[in-house]
Amino acid sequence: MGPVGPPLAALRGVGVRLGATPVLRAVDLEVGAGQAVGLVGANGSGKTTLLRVLATLLPSTSGGGTVLGAPLDAPARLAVRPAIALLGHAPALYPQLTLDENLALVARLLGERPGRAAQALEVVGLAGARQRRAAHCSQGMLRRAELARALLTRPRLLLLDEAHAGLDPAASGLVALLVDDVRGRGGAAVLVSHQPRRLRPLVDRIVELADGRLRPVEEAGDAP
Amino acid sequence: MTAGTPASARATATARLGRWVWLPAATAVLLATGLAAAMAAPPDRLQGNLQRLMYVHVPAAWLAYLAFAVTFGASLAWLWRRRPGADRLAAASAEVGVFFTGLALVLGSVWGKPVWGVWWTWDPRLVTTALLLFVYLGYLALRHAVADPLARARRAAVLGVIAFVQVPIVHLSVVWWRALHQPPTVLKPGDPTIDHAMLAALLVNVAAFTALYVLLVARRLELARLEDEAERLLAEGEPPLAGAAVTPPRPEGMRERG
Amino acid sequence: MRLERMAAGGARVLVRQALEVAAKDLRVEVRSGEALPVIVPFGAAALLLLPIAVGADLPLLRQAGWGMFWVVVLLFGTLVTVRGTAVDDPAQRDLLALLGVDPAARFAGQTLASALLLVAFQLLLVPVAVALYDPGLAGWWWLGPTVPLVAVGLAALGTLAGTLTAGLPARGTLAPLLVVPLSVPLLLAGTQVAVGAASGRSPVVWLLLLLVVDLVVLAAGVLAAGSVGETAR
Repeated sequence: MGPVGPPLAALRGVGVRLGATPVLRAVDLEVGAGQAVGLVGANGSGKTTLLRVLATLLPSTSGGGTVLGAPLDAPARLAVRPAIALLGHAPALYPQLTLDENLALVARLLGERPGRAAQALEVVGLAGARQRRAAHCSQGMLRRAELARALLTRPRLLLLDEAHAGLDPAASGLVALLVDDVRGRGGAAVLVSHQPRRLRPLVDRIVELADGRLRPVEEAGDAP
Repeated sequence: MTAGTPASARATATARLGRWVWLPAATAVLLATGLAAAMAAPPDRLQGNLQRLMYVHVPAAWLAYLAFAVTFGASLAWLWRRRPGADRLAAASAEVGVFFTGLALVLGSVWGKPVWGVWWTWDPRLVTTALLLFVYLGYLALRHAVADPLARARRAAVLGVIAFVQVPIVHLSVVWWRALHQPPTVLKPGDPTIDHAMLAALLVNVAAFTALYVLLVARRLELARLEDEAERLLAEGEPPLAGAAVTPPRPEGMRERG
Repeated sequence: MRLERMAAGGARVLVRQALEVAAKDLRVEVRSGEALPVIVPFGAAALLLLPIAVGADLPLLRQAGWGMFWVVVLLFGTLVTVRGTAVDDPAQRDLLALLGVDPAARFAGQTLASALLLVAFQLLLVPVAVALYDPGLAGWWWLGPTVPLVAVGLAALGTLAGTLTAGLPARGTLAPLLVVPLSVPLLLAGTQVAVGAASGRSPVVWLLLLLVVDLVVLAAGVLAAGSVGETAR
């Protein structure tokens, strides 16, 4: 299925330098509505950095682009942020709050009904652990809670770092569920994974980040 | 004038000559004049020759505040335009300011002990100067703790502005609290109550110390600019990508160790 | 649709965000128990140390009592404002940024939570100071306005310092260093209000100073929050 309408995210020649060290050189990427892109690359290749640029959290030091219609360096990017969901390496949960309280906080800040938090936790199979503090949950449980948060926020751009990390096979199906949900609503997703076999069924195409640049990976060939 | 032509080379050389010869020479002359004036001025009726320390202590204290004001101005400039030169100026002025503040405090102490019998008087200006030293040290400590240059410049600029805005309030509160020191004899409008010759000597020393401040800041700025330039040249030479440090693992290495 | 609703909310949205952040901070602090259960005893221990050091000379202690109380409030109160749970880790910061939480609202919320904790902190230490030092309780009513005003000023300074040192390994020690010199007006106002009230003089001018300091620091914090909020890492 080809892209329909303007791309949800478009990066042109984006370079990122952290201090004096270049991490990304010239990244070109276009993600259209209803598309899912898989991102692979060796450790330290800058995948997390690229995701943060797409999330408008990290400014680029060269090049430019737009995310959800807002240019990367314009104040307008602040307005589109609530429509972006980023699930990073570390869970963005407050350890002292229960899973329910964490998600209810997110719901209230977005102006959603707090009841939706409980619903989202039920979908990911954590209904029984709702009252458990995040500090007492396993990594896999926290990852599921993050997926619940992504379901809750109904994003137009979903960014998943280490998409399958810590998830048992049953929960991995949740990732597919989430990606399909976003795509069905006309949104897009970028998934980083080290497990190309699990990644391929979820995405339309896979790109590899190497030497600070993106290059497409042949569908039928091996990904690193 | 394009870079690399004889005309531009001459211009650069002249500028360098000006920076490295004219400024230090002028400073040296002013300092010598200041010293002579300090020695030539009449001794104080009550405090005798010890009072001559005032000619170093007072200018040092004024410069501490001037340096702080320059840091404030440079911080504002950076927040407005994000020019790296402004950040370098703020840092250089803060470093030189620490020196002058420390000098002012130590000299004040040395002067105070024979005159008032104590190493420290709770005079409001002295207290504020001491607090100023701690604020400077905190500013420099913050700069030292942040590795990323952009984050460092941003955080330091915010601190530079906030600290400056707070210091007058701090001073006001301390002034309300105590009033021991002699009233500001030089800053009163009309005829200052100190002897004219002493006043003249004091003003010469203020000028001399200001020249010294400018010289020190200029040298420090030059050093900072060279550091940044070196880093920029290094970056332009396309340093290795962050990700290049990671290579595929070599399992044979484990077998070799047997 | 949600985005337009949020943009139209304006000030109401900011206030709501600030209150959510404050409520979250307080709940986290109550559960983690870092500030009050640990720092109050620490402050009480400090109040105990002075008489041990200078000899239990009752007239001296009576005179120094309120001064010591305010010094302990300042030094140890700073620790309350820069407690570990007061600053979000990078993932939490990213989340709040993506949820559209305005940095100024975040600053206001954190300051509010710290201020409430500081009020509790001061009120818990008052009986300790009174018991150990037996200072004059004449004009005790002045504690009423002074305690919250000092709390707000110290909370704002501490939150600001915490933001400036966020993510730095030296945060726990650097932030107090930044706060302490600039908090001297709070100390002076606190002690002078006590002195003035005890001798029958009106302490109003010192309370006004406290109010001015609070407003200046709050304004500075709100303006600075935007600048420092957008950090690269």
